[in-house]
Amino acid sequence: MSAADNISTILSSGIRLTVPLAFAACGEYLAERAGTMNISLEAMMLGAAFGSVATASATGSATAGLVAGVLIGLLIGLVHGNLAHRLEVNTFVVGLVLNALVLGLTSYLITISSFDSHQVSQVSVPWLRDIPLIGHPLFVERWPVYLLLLVVPLTWWLVERSRWGLELRAVGEQPQAADVTGIRVNLRRRQALLWCGALAGLGGAYLAVGEVGSFNQNMTAGRGYIVIAAVIFGAWRLGRTLLGCVLFGLADAMRLALPALGLTMNSQLLVVAPYLLALVAMLVFTTRNREPKSLGQPFVRGST
Amino acid sequence: MTTVDERARELTPPSTPALRLRGISKRYGPVVAADNVDLDVNRGEIHGLLGENGAGKSTLMKILLGLVQRDSGTIMRGDTPVDVHDPQDAVALGIGMVHQHFSLIDALTVWENVILGDTGRIDRAAACRQVEEVSRRYGLPIDPTARVERLSAGERQRVELIKCLRRDPSVLILDEPTSVLTQAESAELFTVLRHVVRAENRAVILISHKLAEITAATDQVTVLRKGKVVFHSATSETTPPELARQMVGRDVSLRAEGAALGMLPVDGPVPSGEPPAEPPPETPAESAAASSDAAPATTGTAPALRLRDLTVVIDGVTVLSDLSLDVAPGEIVGLYGVEGNGQSTLGDLLSGLILPSSGAVELAGRPVELERPGALHRAGLGIIPEDRHSSGVVLDMSVAENLVMKSIGDVSGRGFVSRRKMHAVARRLAAEFNIVAPSLDAPVRSLSGGNQQRVVLARELSAGPGVLVAAQPTHGLDVGAIEDMYRRLRDAASGGVAVLLISTELEEVMALASRIAVICSGRITGVLPAAEATAERLGMLVGGVAA
Ligand SMILES: Nc1ncnc2c1ncn2[C@@H]1O[C@H](COP(=O)(O)OP(=O)(O)OP(=O)(O)O)[C@@H](O)[C@H]1O
Ligand SMILES: [Mg+2]
Repeated sequence: MSAADNISTILSSGIRLTVPLAFAACGEYLAERAGTMNISLEAMMLGAAFGSVATASATGSATAGLVAGVLIGLLIGLVHGNLAHRLEVNTFVVGLVLNALVLGLTSYLITISSFDSHQVSQVSVPWLRDIPLIGHPLFVERWPVYLLLLVVPLTWWLVERSRWGLELRAVGEQPQAADVTGIRVNLRRRQALLWCGALAGLGGAYLAVGEVGSFNQNMTAGRGYIVIAAVIFGAWRLGRTLLGCVLFGLADAMRLALPALGLTMNSQLLVVAPYLLALVAMLVFTTRNREPKSLGQPFVRGST
Repeated sequence: MTTVDERARELTPPSTPALRLRGISKRYGPVVAADNVDLDVNRGEIHGLLGENGAGKSTLMKILLGLVQRDSGTIMRGDTPVDVHDPQDAVALGIGMVHQHFSLIDALTVWENVILGDTGRIDRAAACRQVEEVSRRYGLPIDPTARVERLSAGERQRVELIKCLRRDPSVLILDEPTSVLTQAESAELFTVLRHVVRAENRAVILISHKLAEITAATDQVTVLRKGKVVFHSATSETTPPELARQMVGRDVSLRAEGAALGMLPVDGPVPSGEPPAEPPPETPAESAAASSDAAPATTGTAPALRLRDLTVVIDGVTVLSDLSLDVAPGEIVGLYGVEGNGQSTLGDLLSGLILPSSGAVELAGRPVELERPGALHRAGLGIIPEDRHSSGVVLDMSVAENLVMKSIGDVSGRGFVSRRKMHAVARRLAAEFNIVAPSLDAPVRSLSGGNQQRVVLARELSAGPGVLVAAQPTHGLDVGAIEDMYRRLRDAASGGVAVLLISTELEEVMALASRIAVICSGRITGVLPAAEATAERLGMLVGGVAA
């Protein structure tokens, strides 16, 4: 294989590994702008991955699997929001519990069931796919990848331009003041969590029925946490956040490609390398952040 | 939003109650915040609401706004009882409020704040136009695209007003609107309010601690004490001393009244040579003041606080430029100027919140390493910040915790906080500073505005600082508390503390300071010994004209 081929391959797999993160990142970004640190992102992705494979196997349609993934993400978002806001349970506790619960549940269910493999179809853009080096990585993809072209600008528009987004930002910044102004703070926060759940679900489902075609135990492997880190180190800006995701995706692709390139390394070290790299890079590139003011204490709400 | 004037004309004639409260009561545990309150608010009138800190004024207004649920009583609009469960209900009823602690979102722009709480699509251009239109109609100039965090208190107040007025309220409530305003800004506010009631026939409820304002601006006045209505009268039929007596429930000293009236204290007004108000006689303060009067910069003793060529640039804007000022031990130096001329930046700097671009702060002759968090505090500088709500207290921590926060070492042993010691200290401070709280374990959020202030004052004054910076220390305090505050600052100075008093109130600096430095556009335009400081000379300096 030529060097160009190698680069092209790494790019391809880098992009594929980035996509699930990017979907989830759009969701988490919005939730955090509204002031909720959504720890259950991992649960959303993992649950959706499992649900999509199970549904795809039952219906024979990978697309049905994707939809199921979104629904599971929504469901977890709903549970999280209601526990955290209506019952006033600490949102971190809710998140950690949900993560542990979904991990245990999916790990158990996968041992007692067997699923057929289904994958969503590939789209390959004529002409563009022939561009050297980047043509194949960018323009031969499973179709949900192209949804990102919609989801990213939509997320940005919602947060920065829509009334809903204005209220989300207000709620994320100064919930007391927002409340006095007549905004239903917790309702907005729950809605933000639903958006987050839907997108994290899409990301998780894409990982399963888009990339891999099957479910393995703990297949998200902490990607939810990586996304949370990306939002934080991306200083609550969508562009930077996505950049962090790309970084992690590429590092992960490098890890997978190294053995094929004939390089050997301690395998445990290899596994953690992308996480480390992404973290270090995000730390280096982070600037003085623009943290939503109430994210520091997301559960203190004096609204009546 | 062009309908305001037309609609105003259709309204009922003046003096029909826009709002009636009957038997409103509200308890917080043992605290009775509202006790069977009856209140009529008429269209076309400004209704003044007076009361000591913690009397229940804000609570009553929050009930009207649906932010607090009453225990009993009825709210009537005209003759029909109405329910106000949440702020949305209040908006629907045409009740708008400018809160004691501003309710704007700092990170948003002016127009975004103004349309917050509306429904429908966002039309930026239309929103900006509306802001400009309302701002022109009422004479409240503001840039709709400015970010609120950049605005001065006076400008924020304008935004709050514009936000309320744009919704065309029939009842406009203002909770201590002038406590953060300069005199000019207050005057501007009252012009707007007069227009709002006379020309547009709205009802206004005005809460204030300044009796002079109440007597000058209102038509009716009601006094609350411990949640009860103790006095009501047409403003023209009562006098400030009467109101003061009703508030406190006893005769008040002339000086306190003077302060509350927003007038110069009787024993030391002004222009002609005499220092406006002497610190208590035979104190070191006087001698220090005298010597610094003679030659402020060259006194033999090292100044306790020396600001040297401080320059602060924020986002390309020079907010402070080459600011230098010395404060000697035992001296009160007043930094006087119109709000928004760099005072709050200086306050932030001395709180350790921001770093200067150049220049130094020296305490007792030694430069402070400003980069180190807490360095100023450790070097013996106490500060009463201007915005006590956001940087003075932790609202969700208890009164006791807030009181001992800066001296946590004194109340802990072996790395643990001793609750017993903490409570002992807190109890002592609460008694000394007359802090009225449901309990020492209640969160500071549950205290009245004035009592929250007292928590900060108690903590900073009790830490025994060598230098005390007090930014607008009397904002939001009632008559008695202002008097008490003045006494404490004088006592601190006579005990050898160097006091830097940052104030926008002329009477305040004239009453307390032995030297007055005037700040304008981030630079000191002049320093005058109090004896030579006349209202005219200061006025010129404030306007940037060197004396
Ligand atoms: N959420 C709350 N929980 C418990 N007590 C409260 C709460 N809110 C107010 N209070 C108490 O009710 C009383 C009245 O408070 P309020 O804020 O109405 O006073 P105020 O007249 O506005 O005083 P100020 O002039 O200081 O602003 C105070 O004693 C206060 O401690
Ligand atoms: Mg109040």
